[in-house]
Amino acid sequence: MTSEGAPAQVPVIAARNLTKTYQLGEQAVHALRDVSFEIQRGEFVAIMGPSGSGKSTLMNLIGALDVPSSGQLCINGTDIATLSRDELAGLRNHTIGFVFQQFNLLARTTALDNVKLPLTYSEPRPADPDALARKCLEQVGLEGRMDHVPSRLSGGQQQRVAIARALVNSPSLILADEPTGALDTATSLEILNLFKSLNAQGMTIIMVTHELDVAAHAKRLLRVRDGKLVEDRPVHGLLEESAT
Amino acid sequence: MSLAEFLKTALIALRRNVLRSVLTTLGIIIGVGSVIVMSAIGNGASKQIEQQIASLGTNQLTIFPGSTNVGGRQGGFGSAPPLTEKDLRAIREGVDGVVAVAGSMNNSATLVVGNANWVTQLQGSTAEIQDVRDWPVKSGRYFDATEATSRRKVLVIGATVARELFGEQDPVGTTVRVNNVPFEIVGVLTAKGQAGGRDQDDVVIAPLPTARSRLMGRVRVPDEVGQILVKVDDSHDLAEVQTDLERVLRERRRIQPNTPDNFAVRNFADILATRSATQRTLGLLLASAAAISLLVGGIGIMNIMLVSVTERTREIGLRMAIGARGGDILGQFLTEAVLLCLAGGLIGLTLGLGIAVVVSALLSWPVYISPGIVLLAILASAAVGVLFGYVPARRASQLNPIEALRYE
Ligand SMILES: Nc1ncnc2c1ncn2[C@@H]1O[C@H](COP(=O)(O)OP(=O)(O)O)[C@@H](O)[C@H]1O
Ligand SMILES: [Mg+2]
Repeated sequence: MTSEGAPAQVPVIAARNLTKTYQLGEQAVHALRDVSFEIQRGEFVAIMGPSGSGKSTLMNLIGALDVPSSGQLCINGTDIATLSRDELAGLRNHTIGFVFQQFNLLARTTALDNVKLPLTYSEPRPADPDALARKCLEQVGLEGRMDHVPSRLSGGQQQRVAIARALVNSPSLILADEPTGALDTATSLEILNLFKSLNAQGMTIIMVTHELDVAAHAKRLLRVRDGKLVEDRPVHGLLEESAT
Repeated sequence: MSLAEFLKTALIALRRNVLRSVLTTLGIIIGVGSVIVMSAIGNGASKQIEQQIASLGTNQLTIFPGSTNVGGRQGGFGSAPPLTEKDLRAIREGVDGVVAVAGSMNNSATLVVGNANWVTQLQGSTAEIQDVRDWPVKSGRYFDATEATSRRKVLVIGATVARELFGEQDPVGTTVRVNNVPFEIVGVLTAKGQAGGRDQDDVVIAPLPTARSRLMGRVRVPDEVGQILVKVDDSHDLAEVQTDLERVLRERRRIQPNTPDNFAVRNFADILATRSATQRTLGLLLASAAAISLLVGGIGIMNIMLVSVTERTREIGLRMAIGARGGDILGQFLTEAVLLCLAGGLIGLTLGLGIAVVVSALLSWPVYISPGIVLLAILASAAVGVLFGYVPARRASQLNPIEALRYE
């Protein structure tokens, strides 16, 4: 599964009997029930499921934004339940790169400054934040747009800036929650191709989507329904099977 | 985040809404500005009063004959026995710490030179008056003790009188008619300026015996002195000397124990004390005005910071997602509030200083800006920022990143 084939690697994500229950007044909402899986370095995983099935809840746990009600979630071997609020923030900063459906760029802030933002929270501080940010913007093909503010960029370009921001700290994985949900088909394809090339360079990517066409760009598919993991399979042959 | 990054982030946020930022700080601007103006004018006035009192002499006592009090009936002012040259001597010899003692009687007088005339205050004084009042002549000289006792008709005139009657000319040696009696001017006093709303230089001084026999109207006893001026040695305690002096006078005037004095002793230290009490009250008033305006300003800041936190919920969520700790968010909003308040404070300070300078130029009021109040204004503004920025900043730092990211 890993590109290098190194022996006994610690999985980037290891979920064991993961459960998340929300209490809404009297009623308990079981957003995730007993979910277990592992994701190794270098994978490109798509998570699919109908609305309300628990995709975002799962992403929040993988992204160390939340902790499970029971079960265990390890990121690079660290159980996130053992971490304090500040340690979770630190983990998010240097291990995870977030890409959102709505881009979430700071308005009236240049592409370069947006990409540099995670570095201001990094400890230790990188020696040359500007160089790092420039390199990432080049990597997503925006070398000519560094001084542009989001309002002067197209949706696809804005999402590229967001991807560069996710890359700037050389994270272990990129988490993208419906990254193409706000984009047209052609632009979506550009973004997906960008993900594919990043993955080809070794980056681990986990992407939530509810479109089969989008999921088909990944290598592995996890399906959730009613909070349960109902399918875990390679993407290879997915479109052909669904067509029948 | 480093301080520089906090400052940069805060500046960017504030610049996004310049008008709102300025309006928000209006309370602080007005508060700090008005405190600066009031204190500049207040301090200027009290500095001036201080100088005036210093020009009158702070180590000086003045004794007036008081009122009698016979069987509980209060007589009028001056109804008590007059002070005399014998009292003068008794004080000079019997009271410790007295440097000089002078007697003085006052009356108004009309001076005529050629066809110019001037109504002024005539002061009949013994020769020691120059030592008591620390008031040197600018040209000529004072009369001496012999001239005084031999009733020479000589005159020392104040700067205002000299100017009014002689302009730029030196009047020393000239003869003037004082209430129709010719006097020779022997000296012109240095200018002392205003004190207590009175022009101290609008005065002429003649030897007391001369004045008494020729210019003073009714004199009750031949050696009467209207009032006695005493200069106290700097190394002696003014209050102690005053007590001593009162004892001597009570003995001389045969006042029974438990009977009030029939004379009055005034000193400028008393005036100084009342004045500093007034100043304290004024200062307290100023401080409470400042506190109220800063409170109002602070509430404005808190309000706008709460609005800002709500508006930027998504931004906060994003920052947390990419690694901002609670402390980073707290610091960011606290920096913003402090910066906002400091900016308001500095604008208020500048405005206040400007108004003070204009007031001083246009109305020729004395103004004095103490470095202390400037520092205090800056510190108080920053403190308001911390105090009123804390609640919104804490609220921001405790947001749940998931909910913050979902916020519309
Ligand atoms: N903060 C919350 N409080 C209560 N219920 C929640 C909360 N977040 C999600 N849920 C519920 O958990 C379930 C899964 O939600 P979510 O993970 O957002 O699904 P998806 O992203 O697949 O649409 C839903 O029924 C949703 O209503
Ligand atoms: Mg969702």
